[in-house]
Amino acid sequence: MKNSIKAGTFLVAFLVAPLLLASMVIDFRSFDHEGYTRVVLQSERSFTYKVQDQPGRLEVRIAGRADFPARSKAVPNSVLLERVTCEYQGNESVITVHFKGGAAIKKNFVLEDPFRVVFDLVRSELPAAVPPRTDGAVSADEKKPDPPKENPPAVPPRSDGRRGTGTPDVPVSQDREAVPPRSDEAVPPRPKPIETICIDPGHGGEDFGAIGRSKLKEKDVTLKIAFKLKKLIESKTGLRVIMTRDKDSEVSLNSRASIANNQLAQMFVSIHANSSFRKSAYGSETFFVSLQATDPEALELAQKENQNQENPGETIQNDELKMILWNMAQTEHIRESSKLAEFIQNELNELLGTRNRGVKQAPFRVLMRTAMPAVLIETVFISNAAEEKKLLSDEFLDKIASAIYNGISKFIYYYGSLVK
Amino acid sequence: MTKRTRTALLVSAVVVALILAALLLLPRRKPSAFAPEQLSHGDETGGRIAEFIKVKIFFITETSPAMSPVYREIEVPEIREELYRKFVSLLLAGGEGRIVPVPSGAQLRSLHYLVGKEMLILDFNELLAASFPGGTTAEMEFIYFMVDNICYNFREIKKVKFLIGGNESKTLAGHVDLEKPFFPDFSWLKDE
Ligand SMILES: [Zn+2]
Repeated sequence: MKNSIKAGTFLVAFLVAPLLLASMVIDFRSFDHEGYTRVVLQSERSFTYKVQDQPGRLEVRIAGRADFPARSKAVPNSVLLERVTCEYQGNESVITVHFKGGAAIKKNFVLEDPFRVVFDLVRSELPAAVPPRTDGAVSADEKKPDPPKENPPAVPPRSDGRRGTGTPDVPVSQDREAVPPRSDEAVPPRPKPIETICIDPGHGGEDFGAIGRSKLKEKDVTLKIAFKLKKLIESKTGLRVIMTRDKDSEVSLNSRASIANNQLAQMFVSIHANSSFRKSAYGSETFFVSLQATDPEALELAQKENQNQENPGETIQNDELKMILWNMAQTEHIRESSKLAEFIQNELNELLGTRNRGVKQAPFRVLMRTAMPAVLIETVFISNAAEEKKLLSDEFLDKIASAIYNGISKFIYYYGSLVK
Repeated sequence: MTKRTRTALLVSAVVVALILAALLLLPRRKPSAFAPEQLSHGDETGGRIAEFIKVKIFFITETSPAMSPVYREIEVPEIREELYRKFVSLLLAGGEGRIVPVPSGAQLRSLHYLVGKEMLILDFNELLAASFPGGTTAEMEFIYFMVDNICYNFREIKKVKFLIGGNESKTLAGHVDLEKPFFPDFSWLKDE
């Protein structure tokens, strides 16, 4: 009897063990964004992983046996990716993403509910898609990733501590040391203390923005403040400042985010002057992106995207999906963006003595696609006659620039303590 | 093979089958549905229920950014979309001392309710964007004036999507993303 029970137990274990091991289904998705490609590995439960970015490919080693849709699968219509493969080595599953050319990891992080490991990849030779250089703007010949540091800091911890079990069990930088660097290897830029700030003067060209009673145009006010802010940051901190426009020109919202992403800016500050249907509305407001789009429906839609690749007949609203994923690009930075908004808003309240309209959230198109802490500042109301009059004064614009600068410098100090 | 061994193997096979079934039938996690607070006077039946219904419309005023209510009555037409259209006309008509956060000349071209998506699509003429005064606050005043009032009064509508001249528009005036539908944000509303 004892023997037969043993035999039965063994049989159960023998049959069930592979079933349990194989139950970790991993889905692969990739999306081309402005200036980078996002790779997502999603699973119903969390897993530990190690990363190796070899020349021409990214290897993700996952403990246990992953159930991957295919051993080898082409990635159609991708800018950077050619194919993804899965093989098993001992107790590990190795998912390899093969690049079309040189590419490097810009970022690696984990999202939860559902569990996702996300890689943002950039071309190692960045494409030229930035306006020509004039005074403050960046030129195409500057568009190389920053040189690697001796000891690049690890991915900055999320301020909400949401690393979970998906955190690489060996820090990426250490793991890379196991592989001797080659001269042709693309060296990925790592998140590091803030070095580049992108200032976005709202509107421009045919897009006047809001117009005051005395015909003062928002586009002119935002550019003036942006120049003042740029000068302050450069003279006081020595940090690199790029601008999405440095003259009265029209730049699309996509291009603005793209400039910041391509230049690997670590902070994005969009400057505006507000307008309301209530003529009496006044005061300053600082916004960061709303998470409303990452609602249950949005997540469901993102999951459906997978099924769609298998069933091309079934169509989904691509634009809606794109929107969600752009929003996800900002999702990782939402805490930092909120903090940046708070620092700037506090300074605006204090320095200008304007009424606190507080830090608010909204689905801003220009902020959604930025892959860095990003805020939009509505300085004061150009639709309010008294505030419009203030905006005509150069001294007042100096004060605004100075308040924004103070907020930024407080954030840099706070962020500095994060990346330690 | 003894009888006992056979029995043990049979029991094992049943256990394996049960575990396998459990693994296959394990429910997948579903995201929870959005459920706004509902104080609607509207009906959900889709049918004709009354000659008139009373609706509560919230407007901003010069003294407050929060929207405060006024009551209106609408004669209920046969077609439900016609009721929504009448309701939007009431929003655009405004009232004494109330601000209608819609630029002059902007008009509703058409309106569609997608039952499956519980979404109302409002298609405005091009003057909505062309005459829009600009500013983040003005954009949000317009969006939530429409969305909150509609979703507050008609519980079957969970979200509202805006079109301009029959097409999707990126933004109204360069700020808030207009391509996605909007869920209500009742924090804009102030009750009596
Ligand atoms: Zn603006």
